[in-house]
Amino acid sequence: MTRSVLYTSSPLLASKTPVWRSKFMVAGLALGFATLAGRAAWIQVFGNDFFQRQGEVRFARTLELPANRGRILDRNGLLLATSVPSPSIWAIPEDVDADKRKLAELARLLEMSPAELGRKLQDEDKTFVWLKRQVDEPVAQQIAALGIKGIYQRMEYKRRYPEGEAAAHVVGFTNVEDKGQEGIELAFDQALAGRAGSRRVIKDRLGRIIEDVGQQVPPVDGRDLQLSIDSKVQFFAWQKLRDAIAEHKAKAGSVVVLDVQTGEVLALANYPSYSPARRQNLTGAQLRNRALTDTFEPGSTMKPFIAALALQKGLVRPDTVIDTAPGRMSIGGSTIRDSHPHGELTVEQVIQKSSNVGTVKLAMQMSPRDMWELYTEAGFGQKPHVPFPGAVSGRLRPPKTWRPIEQATMSYGYGLSASLFQLARAYTVFARDGELIPVTLLKAEGPAVGVRVIEARHARAVRHMLQMTTGPGGTAPKAQTVGYSVGGKTGTAHKQEGRGYSDKKYRGFFVGMAPIEQPRIVVAVMIDEPSNGKYFGGDVAAPVFSATVQQTLRLLGVQPDMNVKPQVVVDAVEESF
Amino acid sequence: MTRLNLVLLFAVLLSAMHLVQVQYDSRRLYAEIEKAQAQARKLEVEHERLQVDKRAQATPLRVEKLAKEQLKMRPAGPAITQYIAARVPQP
Repeated sequence: MTRSVLYTSSPLLASKTPVWRSKFMVAGLALGFATLAGRAAWIQVFGNDFFQRQGEVRFARTLELPANRGRILDRNGLLLATSVPSPSIWAIPEDVDADKRKLAELARLLEMSPAELGRKLQDEDKTFVWLKRQVDEPVAQQIAALGIKGIYQRMEYKRRYPEGEAAAHVVGFTNVEDKGQEGIELAFDQALAGRAGSRRVIKDRLGRIIEDVGQQVPPVDGRDLQLSIDSKVQFFAWQKLRDAIAEHKAKAGSVVVLDVQTGEVLALANYPSYSPARRQNLTGAQLRNRALTDTFEPGSTMKPFIAALALQKGLVRPDTVIDTAPGRMSIGGSTIRDSHPHGELTVEQVIQKSSNVGTVKLAMQMSPRDMWELYTEAGFGQKPHVPFPGAVSGRLRPPKTWRPIEQATMSYGYGLSASLFQLARAYTVFARDGELIPVTLLKAEGPAVGVRVIEARHARAVRHMLQMTTGPGGTAPKAQTVGYSVGGKTGTAHKQEGRGYSDKKYRGFFVGMAPIEQPRIVVAVMIDEPSNGKYFGGDVAAPVFSATVQQTLRLLGVQPDMNVKPQVVVDAVEESF
Repeated sequence: MTRLNLVLLFAVLLSAMHLVQVQYDSRRLYAEIEKAQAQARKLEVEHERLQVDKRAQATPLRVEKLAKEQLKMRPAGPAITQYIAARVPQP
């Protein structure tokens, strides 16, 4: 017997159902489809943005395109500072699980002891630890080759300064974040830094870039800066300064070399210095760019300005005789002395022998206002227009407040202050036949345009006096060079200490120019606290001047203007055919 | 009518396949360009690094030391320099 169901005669069909039930079902199904369609439309049309975004978040990435920091070059295009990549090594301590041997190898590459590395990796709570910042590229490659899990690298840039200590004060340095901290690096930080760009890309599952999306912002590299510094002159000046400071057991010193034609700073050296690559335990004494940031009383180096003013006012002629006997005079109860008393001297000899009494006798014939005007026009008491952090203006009080004794001391350089840089620039007045020129630390295109301060013939007359200073009977015969005629002025100033002047502490200077007939360079030298017996500017600073001038003019290709007995042996033999 | 529809269907399928292929190729090539560019950057950086190294080997300090000690040279002065007039270039 087969059991079968006859559907056609199912009793269920026989039962009477109300019509609304089937209609209800149809309506229910229709609603269901409508909901699906609505949802689909929502996802694909109206709410599309959200889903697109979500999708992108999962495989699109914004990459930063780093900009290179500009290089700093010297006037001949030699590198003074440039950025090289140096990866920083970091770790997630929790993830690091390498055997002892590999960790020891890592410690060796990082130049730290295994114990020290262990300490850094000990703290498991931290998710990020710098192991060492800015290692060298080859070392980083070796570290990557070790393949330790949990050790990562981040690309960073490090500044390299091939010239080292010699140019450290001019160039300055950057910090670990590549921001300028000192010197040119700080002064021109914005121009050097550049601007990072960005791009948005799609990456595949292997992390390869397969498509660019949206707009790309290209990075703007920092500008290269070409300085006026000549690295050879700079090095040479620095070296001579260093040797002189060692010889005279001095505390510090500076040299400034200016190109008289263009107003460019060819060298600006200071000692003590530092190595920009190793900047641990630096002191302010090492860091300061003394030539620009330190002021001092310029002493006798101001005397030529008084002589020039006296000539300009028609008070004297270069050969007018002034009686300086007995080597001292008193003004308002104070006594002014010459360190070596002289008798009757001409104006030329007053400068040549650096007589305080003679200079004061000239100065007291002028009004304080005239003196103040000339000093101001020569740039004293004014901030030099060089974009250098910490450049100072020095001090020059308004003439109304000068008492007679102060006018007298100011004529030989006490009671006002200036930086060595200002002093060097002021001497361009004599070197440029009476014009003061603007100076620049950046390479200049053409000759500098000066502002007339004194008449050309008087400037030339003073230049002759400056030449006599370095000749026989002058205060600085040691400034002479082989082949080039020079001229300049010595200065020896007591250092200020507390409220008065120190008896034993001095500063020796020499500011001069060469060749004297048609000056090409102005060189200023300052030696601070020479304490090995000699302290006169003519003894401690003039030799540095001489060596620097000799070398600089040779490097600039200036032909000697004095006769030199040639030692070149030229044996020309006729060529035989 | 049916035949035309079939032809069109195949055409659409082929074009779709081709699109996939082209897309794949373009991504592969793009990745290659990226790789090459990354390498170019790396070489550039390496070049810069070597330039610095070269410069660091040629600082005046080192040059002078080597010239004095190894080559026994001495600084030239005007006394042992023969000066000749610069020849003015003819226009």
